[in-house]
Amino acid sequence: MISNSEFHISDAYLYNRHSTTRWVASHIWRYKWLLALALGLQIVSLTTYASSALLIGRAAGEMVKPDGGQLLQYALAILIILTMDGIFNLLAFYAYTHIATRFAADARQELYASLLGKSQTFHSRQRVGDLMARATDDVALLSDMVTPGASLLIESTVTFAITLVFIGLIDLKLLIVPGLFIIAYIFAVRGYVHELEPITARLRNQFGHLDAVLAEIISGIEVVKASARELFERDKFRTSARRLRDTAVQQGRVEARYLPVLLFAIAVGVMFLHALWLYQTGVLTLAGVIAVMGLMNVLRWPTFSSIFTFSLIQSGLASADRILSIIRAETDLDENAAGIERVVQGEIMFERVSFGFSDQPLLQDISFCVQPGQTVAIVGQTGSGKSSLIGLVNRTYDATAGRILIDGVDVRAWSLDALRSQIGKIEQDIFLFSRTVAENIAFGRPGATQTEIEQAARDAQAHDFILSFKDGYQTVIGERGVMLSGGQRQRLALARAFLSDPRILILDDSTSAIDSATEAEIQLALRHIQRGRTTLLITHRLAQIRWADHILVIDQGRLVADGTHDELLRRSPHYRRIFARYDVALPTLESVA
Amino acid sequence: MGFIFDGLDAEAYDRRYTDRALVVRVIGYFKPEIGRMLLVAGAVVLQALLDVSLPILISRTLDQLAAGQADLVHSAALIAAIGSLAWVFNFVRRSFSSRAVAAVVLKLREDAFDAVLKRDLSFYDQFVSGKIVSRVNSDTQAFSQVVTLTMDLFSQLLLVVLLMAYLFSVNTTLAWITLALAPFIVFAALTFRRIARNTITQSRRVSAEVSAHIQETVSGIGVAKTFRQEAAVYDEFVDVNEQSFRINRRTGYTFSAIFPILNVLAGIGTALLVYVGGLNVQSGALTPGDWYLFIQGLGLFWFPVTSIASFWSQFQIGLAAAERVFALLDAEPRVVQTDNRPLPIVRGEIQFDRVAFAYKPGEPILTDFSLTIHAGETLALVGHTGSGKSSLARLIVRFYEFQGGRLLIDGTDIRTLDLADYRTRLGLVTQTPFLFEGTVRENIRYGRPDATDEEVERAARHVGGGDWLTGLAQGLATEVGERGSSLSMGQRQLVALGRILLQDPAIFILDEATASIDPLTETLIQEGLDTVMRGRTNIIIAHRLSTIRHADRIIVLRRGQIIEEGNHLALLAAGGHYAELYNTYFRHQSLEFIDAQGPVHG
Repeated sequence: MISNSEFHISDAYLYNRHSTTRWVASHIWRYKWLLALALGLQIVSLTTYASSALLIGRAAGEMVKPDGGQLLQYALAILIILTMDGIFNLLAFYAYTHIATRFAADARQELYASLLGKSQTFHSRQRVGDLMARATDDVALLSDMVTPGASLLIESTVTFAITLVFIGLIDLKLLIVPGLFIIAYIFAVRGYVHELEPITARLRNQFGHLDAVLAEIISGIEVVKASARELFERDKFRTSARRLRDTAVQQGRVEARYLPVLLFAIAVGVMFLHALWLYQTGVLTLAGVIAVMGLMNVLRWPTFSSIFTFSLIQSGLASADRILSIIRAETDLDENAAGIERVVQGEIMFERVSFGFSDQPLLQDISFCVQPGQTVAIVGQTGSGKSSLIGLVNRTYDATAGRILIDGVDVRAWSLDALRSQIGKIEQDIFLFSRTVAENIAFGRPGATQTEIEQAARDAQAHDFILSFKDGYQTVIGERGVMLSGGQRQRLALARAFLSDPRILILDDSTSAIDSATEAEIQLALRHIQRGRTTLLITHRLAQIRWADHILVIDQGRLVADGTHDELLRRSPHYRRIFARYDVALPTLESVA
Repeated sequence: MGFIFDGLDAEAYDRRYTDRALVVRVIGYFKPEIGRMLLVAGAVVLQALLDVSLPILISRTLDQLAAGQADLVHSAALIAAIGSLAWVFNFVRRSFSSRAVAAVVLKLREDAFDAVLKRDLSFYDQFVSGKIVSRVNSDTQAFSQVVTLTMDLFSQLLLVVLLMAYLFSVNTTLAWITLALAPFIVFAALTFRRIARNTITQSRRVSAEVSAHIQETVSGIGVAKTFRQEAAVYDEFVDVNEQSFRINRRTGYTFSAIFPILNVLAGIGTALLVYVGGLNVQSGALTPGDWYLFIQGLGLFWFPVTSIASFWSQFQIGLAAAERVFALLDAEPRVVQTDNRPLPIVRGEIQFDRVAFAYKPGEPILTDFSLTIHAGETLALVGHTGSGKSSLARLIVRFYEFQGGRLLIDGTDIRTLDLADYRTRLGLVTQTPFLFEGTVRENIRYGRPDATDEEVERAARHVGGGDWLTGLAQGLATEVGERGSSLSMGQRQLVALGRILLQDPAIFILDEATASIDPLTETLIQEGLDTVMRGRTNIIIAHRLSTIRHADRIIVLRRGQIIEEGNHLALLAAGGHYAELYNTYFRHQSLEFIDAQGPVHG
C-alpha cells in the first residue's frame, strides 16, 4: 500500500497496514525464526519445570521404600532439571527481548519516516506533544506487549497445557477438576479485565486532569491572586481530587475482589478431595497424590500473572492502533517527482483562490499578481488568513479552489523538489536546531564553505553578534547552548535564506526588537534580502509595510483592498486606522466605488 | 513481580527519613482512619495465619493418609474453606486499606494545595510550576505507597516468621537449610538491583535523546520541508534509534535474568530438601507429609524474602516524598496581613512612604522610596531592566512583602487591608496575559463571576470597538486553548483588557507587552487601552511610544530611585536620562523612523 507522501525511503521494509493486528503480526513476522526458537526454548523450559513436580512425587515414592531407593539420584535429577529450566528460560527471554526491542525500534522508524512524508496540513493540525507520546510512550508499550506481555501469556498457556498433560499422564480422571477450574478461570479473568479496564483508564485520565488543573492554577497564579479567585480555584482542585479519590477506592475494591484466587483455592481443595478419593479406591499411590498436588501448585503463578499480561497486551494493541492511525493518515500532497523542474523567475499569480479546512473557510476568492522582484506586504488581523495565504505559494497547503501560478505554471504541476528548493520561507516561529550556528545557517545548503556561511551572516547583519559568542560560528544553540533573543534568531533565519538564495522569499515576520539599534539592524537585513527577489511579507514592522511595492489588506479571509501605501491611505479605512494613532494628518478618505 | 523493580527510578535524596517527627505526623494523618486500619491489621494477621496453615494442613492429611486414617471430605472441605477465607480476609484488607489510604492522600493533597495557594509570589519565583505540581500530586501519591508497602511487608514478615517457627518445631536441620538460602536470595536480589539501576539510567538517557531528536525534528519539520532536507534528518534519526535499540535490549537482557537466576537458587534448595529430607523420612525423623511441607514451604518462603530485599529503598523514597510534602505545608508565607479591614470605596490614591524592598536579602531593589500617585492619574514608569518598575507594581498588588516603610492605599496601610476585598478593586494585565482554558467569554468573566452574558458582551464590545471579535472563529464562544495558546498574543491582550473593563477596578496596573503585535491588532489594543484607562488610577510599565506620550506623568527610574519626572515633551526637551531611554527603546516606534527607511528598490 503506497500512499501519497512528500518523502520516500527507497529500501524500506513493507509492513501490512490493513489492520492493527495484521500490522503487529507483520512486524513480529520479520523475526519469525527467532520467535520459533523462543517458543521452543520456553516449551522445553516449562516442561522441565513441571516435570520436577513429577520427580518430587517419584522421590517421595523412593524414600518410603525400605532400601532407601534412588533418593540421591532423584535429588540430583531435580537439581539438574531445575537448573536447565533456568537456562532455557533465560535464553527464551533473551530471544523475546530481542524481538520486543527490535519491534519497538522498527515501529518507531516506520512512524518517523511516515511523519517526514506528511504534509504541513497534517503537521499543523497535530500537536507535537501528541506525536511525541506516540513515538515514545506508545512505542515502549509495544515492546512491553511482546515481553513481559505475550511471553508471559504464552508461558501461562503452555504451563496450563503441560500441567494438564502431566496430570492426565498420572490419571485421566484427575483432569476433571483442573479442566473445570481453567474454564471458570478464563471467564473470571475476562470479567475482571472488563471491569477493571475502564476504571484504570479513568484513573489515569483523572490523574492527568488533576495535574493539568494544578499546573494551570500555578501558571496563572498572578491572575488568580490579583482577581481574588483563590476560593474558586480551590473548589476546582478539590472537586478533581475527590473524583480521583473515588476512582482510586473503586479500583482498590475491584482489585481486592480478584476472583481467580478464590477459584484456585476451591480448585485445590476439590482436587485434593478427588486425589484422596482415588488413593483410597486404589487408583493412585501416595507418590501420585504428592505429584498431583505439586502440579496443582505449578498453576499458582500463572493464575496470578495472567492478570497483568492481559492488560499489557490490551494496552499494547491500543498503542499499536494509535501509531498505525498516524502512519495511515492520508496526506494530500505528493512529491510529484515527474513534475516541471526549471529555474523560477519569480512571478506569482493568484487566480480566484479559496482555501480552508472542511469546517472553516479561511480564504475566499483571492486574486492578485506579483511581478518578479516585487515586495508585497500582507496586512490583516490575527486569524484573517494571512499565514494560510503565503502557505499556498510553496504548497505548504494546496488551494481548495482556484489556481496559484508561478511563472505562469500551476504550483501543482511543479516538482515539489524544484518548487520548494527555489522558494525560501521564514516562519513566524523561527525554528533553529540544537546545533552550531554554522550548521543552522548551512541547513538549506549542506556543504557550504565557511566563507559562504560568513558572507550570508554578514548580509543578514548576524556576523557581529555571532562573533561575540565565545565559540563564534561553532556555538551550539538552544537548551544545551546559547539562548538567542528574537532579533538574533530572526537574523540567523535570514542568513539561512541568504545562503540558499531562493528566487521567491516568503517571510512571516513577527519578531520584536526591544531596542532601536537592533531594530535598525533587522530592518537593514530585511531590506537587503528583498533586493532582486520576489518577496511576500507578513510583518508587524510598519516601515516594511509603508515601503512595500504592493500592499494587500486581508479581512476575514477576503482581500478588501490592495495598492501602494499612498493609495491605501486614501482608499482603505482598515489601513488608515493603523496610522491614525500617529497624530499626523492623513489624506481625505475617498469613497470606494 | 514488579516489586523488585519498583523504586529504581528514584533520585537519591540526601535527607534523613527516620525522623521521629515525620513518623508521628504520618500517623497523625491516619488517626481519622483508625477504625479501618484496625480492621485491616486484623485481616492481615488472620490471612497470614491461614496462608501458613494451608500447607500444614495438606501435609498433616498426607500423613494421615499414609497411616490410613484420613477423613477425606473433612480435610478437603477444610482446605477449600481455608483458601476461601484467606481470599475473604485479603479482600477486607485490600478494600479497606485502599479506602483509608485514598482518604489520607486526599487530605494531604488538599492541605498541600491550600498551603500552595496561601504562598505569596516569592514562593512561585523559587519553584518552577512542574515541581510544585509534582509535590502536591505525585509526592502525596508516592507517600501512599509507603503505607501499602508497610502493610505488605508486615504481612509477609508475619507469614515467614509463622512458617519458620512451625518448620523449626518440626525439624531443625531442614529448617536451617531453608533459612540458609535466604542470604543468597537477598544477595542476588540486591546485586541485581544495583546492575539494573545502571542499565535503567542509561536507558532513560537514551530515551531522552530519542525524544529530543523527535521533538526537535517534528517541531522544525517546516524548515526541513522548505529546504528538502528530509533524508538527512531521517538518517540522523536512524542512528539515534538504533543506539536506543541496543541499550534497551541490554536493559531487557538484564531484567530477563533475575527470575531464572532466583529459580535456579530455589532449585538448589529444593534438591537439597528432597535429599536431606528424604534421608530423614527414611530414618523416621520426619513424616512424608512434613517432607512435602518443607518443599512447598520453600516456595512460600523465597517470595517474601525477595520483596523484603527491595523494601528499604522504596520505603525511603516514600518517606522522602512525605517529607517534601510536609516541608511544603510548613513553609511560612512572607506576606503577612496584620488586620483585615474592608475597604469600602477605593479612590485609587497610592502612597509609597520611604519603602524599602528586596527580593533577596542583601540585594535591595528599593531603598527609602517615596512616591504619591494621585487618584485618577495615569502614570508611566520607564527605566532599564532592573530599575524597579515591575517591583513597584508588584508591591501595589501585594504579591510581595516589603521590608521597610509604609504603603498606603487611600491613606490606609496596605498591611491592614482585607486582601481579597482589596484585590477585587485592582486590575492587573501582565506582559503575556494568562488565560484559563475555556472560552473567551469565561475568561472575560473571570474577574467578576456574577456578571451576566450581556455585561460580558458589552465589555468585549467596548474594547477596540469590538472589531477584534471578528478575528475569533466563534466570537466570544471561541476556545482559548491551553493557557490561551489558540489566540495570538495580541488577542490575549484584548481578552485581558475586556476582563479588566468588566471588573471595573479603581486601580489599573499594566505591564505593557514587549512582543510585536500585528499593526491592526496593535491599533485595537491601543484603542482598548484608551477605554480601559478612563476614570481610574493607571500605573503603566511602559514599552510603547504611544502610551508614554499620553501619560499624565512619566517617572524615570534608575536603581530604585526616581531620577526624572514630568511629561513626554518636557522630559525630551530636558535631554536627560529620559531622552537617552527614548533613543534606545522608543525611537524606532516613531513615524519619523518609519519614514526615514525609504523605498527598498529606490
